[in-house]
Amino acid sequence: MAASNTLTTMTSRLYLTCIRNTLEAAMCLQNFPCQEVERHNKPEVELKTSPELLLNPVLICRNEAEKCLIETSINSLRISIKVKQANELENILTKRFLRFLSMRAEAFQVLRRKPVQGYDISFLVTNYHCEDMHKNKLIDFIVQFMEDIDKEIYELKLSVNTRGKLVATEFLKQFL
Amino acid sequence: MAFFDKASPALKEILLKLYRAEKPLEIDHQIYEFGSLQYHIQASASEPHHVYLSVSTSLQSPGVSTTDGLQNCTLQSLRRLYSDAIELIEPPNEGYQLTLRIKFSELTQSKGLVLLIRLRFCPTSYVCIVLTCYDFCLCLICSDECVKIITDISSLQAMMVSSQLKEMLWNFGSQDTSYGMHKPIKLIYHPGEPFYVIRLAQKITVIFPMRFKENSDVIIATTLFQELMDLGCLRKFAKAPPCTWSPIPPPELRGEPLEDLSTNGGFVSFDIFSRHIDGRGSKLDKTVWNLLNFYTYVKQHVKCTRGFIQRRMRKKVENLSEILQKAMLTGGEHIQKTHKGHRFRKKLISRSTSKMLRGKCAIFFNKIRSRIKIQGFEKFRRKWLRVPKFYSLRRYTKLD
Repeated sequence: MAASNTLTTMTSRLYLTCIRNTLEAAMCLQNFPCQEVERHNKPEVELKTSPELLLNPVLICRNEAEKCLIETSINSLRISIKVKQANELENILTKRFLRFLSMRAEAFQVLRRKPVQGYDISFLVTNYHCEDMHKNKLIDFIVQFMEDIDKEIYELKLSVNTRGKLVATEFLKQFL
Repeated sequence: MAFFDKASPALKEILLKLYRAEKPLEIDHQIYEFGSLQYHIQASASEPHHVYLSVSTSLQSPGVSTTDGLQNCTLQSLRRLYSDAIELIEPPNEGYQLTLRIKFSELTQSKGLVLLIRLRFCPTSYVCIVLTCYDFCLCLICSDECVKIITDISSLQAMMVSSQLKEMLWNFGSQDTSYGMHKPIKLIYHPGEPFYVIRLAQKITVIFPMRFKENSDVIIATTLFQELMDLGCLRKFAKAPPCTWSPIPPPELRGEPLEDLSTNGGFVSFDIFSRHIDGRGSKLDKTVWNLLNFYTYVKQHVKCTRGFIQRRMRKKVENLSEILQKAMLTGGEHIQKTHKGHRFRKKLISRSTSKMLRGKCAIFFNKIRSRIKIQGFEKFRRKWLRVPKFYSLRRYTKLD
């Protein structure tokens, strides 16, 4: 049991380190006005109008259920994450939590309100975010976010099961 | 069923208010509880010691003998329990299943003692003090008893609801065969929450079809049902009724209407053996009340769990937001705490250079205008001193 936990932690760390390194490499954004519309400045990763401004997307997979897509362009970066959902309870908890976060996207400047199709949550980092924030701390935030989501879902699952057990115990105790 | 407490708090409050009133009150109240229960309380100054209480419930339990919409067993229980303090009025008021006359004169002994204390109170006399203390203690005991009786009267609805199931279980305990073998009896104590009681050779099975509005509720409730099943197997809970949960209708319900058997939360069954209903005492009461409250119990659990998840999520969002604020070059100086909505909400005050320049110019011209007033200057200013509009390169329209 302990060995499997250690293995899980190690694979998780490797996965997160890989994402961190990719983000560090990809997050070299610069101001770039839109080539299509005059006096407009739009995230090219969203528009995808000029292929020469886009880099190859990087897909980092831990397994089929857990993956991270990093799409880069000259002035913006989009990170889409798929969170592990092993059973129905985890599925519901993840959906609720990520919906809760998306609805409060104004509290996180880099969070996208609508995730990219096939993923659970997406971030959009523009060159302005890189100017306003410490690049390293922004990467730290994204990595910690991923780490925390997994941890939170796991803890919530445990709590819901524990609550169920306590309530069931109390109910059955009444018959004794 | 929609509450755990047997006594109706509103009814209890009104009855206590009437009981404790110094002078007779004129009251004509109608109380509705949980959409299926209606009380009508009447008290008049002409009859100061009597209060009339009418009750109506939507008890729909086919196949059980009734007298004017009320089960015989309920009437018997009422007569047995409250023979002194209340009187059944036949026929009941129109639109109600039961009308009672509560005799406050039977309960007012403690009031008399209070008067006695007032009369006897004499601080100079030791004997009087001793007597007063004795009376006071007696008064407290009587008062507690009266409150207990009023609480019992307020639990009338619980008694009406539970008496039918109690009677069925009691008949099983006494080996009476008045109910057909294997014939499920459908009981509805709350709209949309029916349950079935099936009598078998050695046991009575109570089956609850579980329906929920949302999928997340189904999953939360399913964890509870799994735990109920798992715990039932433990030696610690060997005396509790065994519980089974199945997503498909149990074979006992074969032949029931399809709309009753279509659920999203499956079916929870409790097997009641004779040891769970031994005697007419508290064990039977407890079993009946727990079974009747099962729906409420599950719903309460789902509601509380949802609240718990929401609280955890809110806390986590705050933490994550703080982490992102630390990443700001300004170090999150612009964080403002607001009382409404989210506790932690950031507000970045960022103004473009053009906007700042325009603002400064406006202040400068306002100053000039307030001090000097030249004829035609306004026209000249509008024509020649107009600040051009600058558009920030940062502006863009976000697309989905």
